Amino acid sequence: MSDLGTALAFYPLAALMLVTGLYVFITSSMARAGLLLLAALGVEGLIFLALASEFLGFLQLLMMSGEMVIMVFFMVMFMSDPGGLMGMDMTHEKRRSAGVAIALAAGLALVAVLTDWPARVAGDDAPDVRAIGFEVMGRSMVSFLFAAMTILFAMVGGVMLAKQGGRFGIAAPAGEERGEGD
Amino acid sequence: MSAVTPFAVLALAVAGAYALALLEPLVAGARPHPVAPVRSALAVVRQPLRRPGTYDGWLFHLAPGLLLLAGVMALATVPWAPGFRGIDFQAGVILFAGALAYVTPAVFMAGWGAGRPLAVVGGFRWLALMLAYAMPIAMVTTAVAAPAGSLRPSDIVEVQHAVPMVLAQPLAAALWLPAVMAVCFLAPFDLPQAPSELGGGTFAEYRGLDAALVGLAQRVLLLAVSGMTATLFLSGWHGPLLPPAVWMGLKTLAVAALILWLGRRIPRVEIDRALSLAWKVANPLAIVAIVIAGLLTLFFYR
Repeated sequence: MSDLGTALAFYPLAALMLVTGLYVFITSSMARAGLLLLAALGVEGLIFLALASEFLGFLQLLMMSGEMVIMVFFMVMFMSDPGGLMGMDMTHEKRRSAGVAIALAAGLALVAVLTDWPARVAGDDAPDVRAIGFEVMGRSMVSFLFAAMTILFAMVGGVMLAKQGGRFGIAAPAGEERGEGD
Repeated sequence: MSAVTPFAVLALAVAGAYALALLEPLVAGARPHPVAPVRSALAVVRQPLRRPGTYDGWLFHLAPGLLLLAGVMALATVPWAPGFRGIDFQAGVILFAGALAYVTPAVFMAGWGAGRPLAVVGGFRWLALMLAYAMPIAMVTTAVAAPAGSLRPSDIVEVQHAVPMVLAQPLAAALWLPAVMAVCFLAPFDLPQAPSELGGGTFAEYRGLDAALVGLAQRVLLLAVSGMTATLFLSGWHGPLLPPAVWMGLKTLAVAALILWLGRRIPRVEIDRALSLAWKVANPLAIVAIVIAGLLTLFFYR
């Protein structure tokens, strides 16, 4: 793609990603928040494609769909107001968190602007690309696997804690009938 | 990929959906009528739209579009002939799996947006089912791509010039077929709509253009997964005498007919059983399939 084409795809997509990302925090419906986050991250995948990073873009589109759908599943399951219909406010410590967020965004923007990015485009067989591949599939794999197992245990543990007594609820004490109103 | 490609893929999607609409009565043992699909589609489109009066009603109208987009994107990655390949990306198989992954949020959005209890139940069933069946699809894709040493669908076709992958890796094929049948939410995996159980479930509220789009999207999905099954397992366009595109079309229609026929023969799988089959049988076997693919690649394909 030409430079102009890349720019024409990049900036509208980036703006769309920011807007959808912002609405994730504005909406109070868990289903909406999860689907908006999926939209934001899916648009990020399209940005990868616009920057000619085909494999990363497809992988981003594939992985984010699954992950955000899992998130919707869990948020609706665990939150007390999943539909956002009861006007429950789910934000806390607004002023301090806004301060931290603005400072962090400013810092990241400064890093992005001040870094001396390399101008050349690395080919598939460049030595640094190979080195990243060996790093990711070698030593770092242990920490990735550890993180993956931790997340899996957290998910299974969360479900175990949430569903007391199994699928049909807690058994009634002996000699008592369970019914409406108790 | 040229400027004509998107139009060619769209035309293929519509023509394929029409062909599948003719195939459905044929599989059921009735005589297909060439005008009947058009007539029933027009009848559906003429109905007035139904707008759910719920908070998330916009998701309800967005879902059929996303469903159709996912189907068309998946269809675009299928290589039909050495010349016409749609979008022949280097990582085309990943794009195929990625496009199918958007069927999951689309059907969930349909159920959640409708805001009726049975529709929401259908949507959540679907999420659970798809989370279980997404992994076998990705792992089987890897197993089939390994002998070719490439994620490009046309390279995977070329590596099967002697032995179709269904003979080389029968386990992978056996895991692939039910998983892609589930993605198309066709019987016996029609759990989100489950006519006799949830009364239409996720799609019960759809009328008019929305309903027509859902029907079209389901057939485009069936066409895409049949085409990809022919590509990955039945050696794609390879075949004697006939031109490549004809072989590919015949194989695709054969797979679609097999899927529709199985759907008529097998009763709907219960959701609990479908999930435990997926997690306890299909996922571990998919890992075995990857190991087999690795051994095959090491010993026979190099």
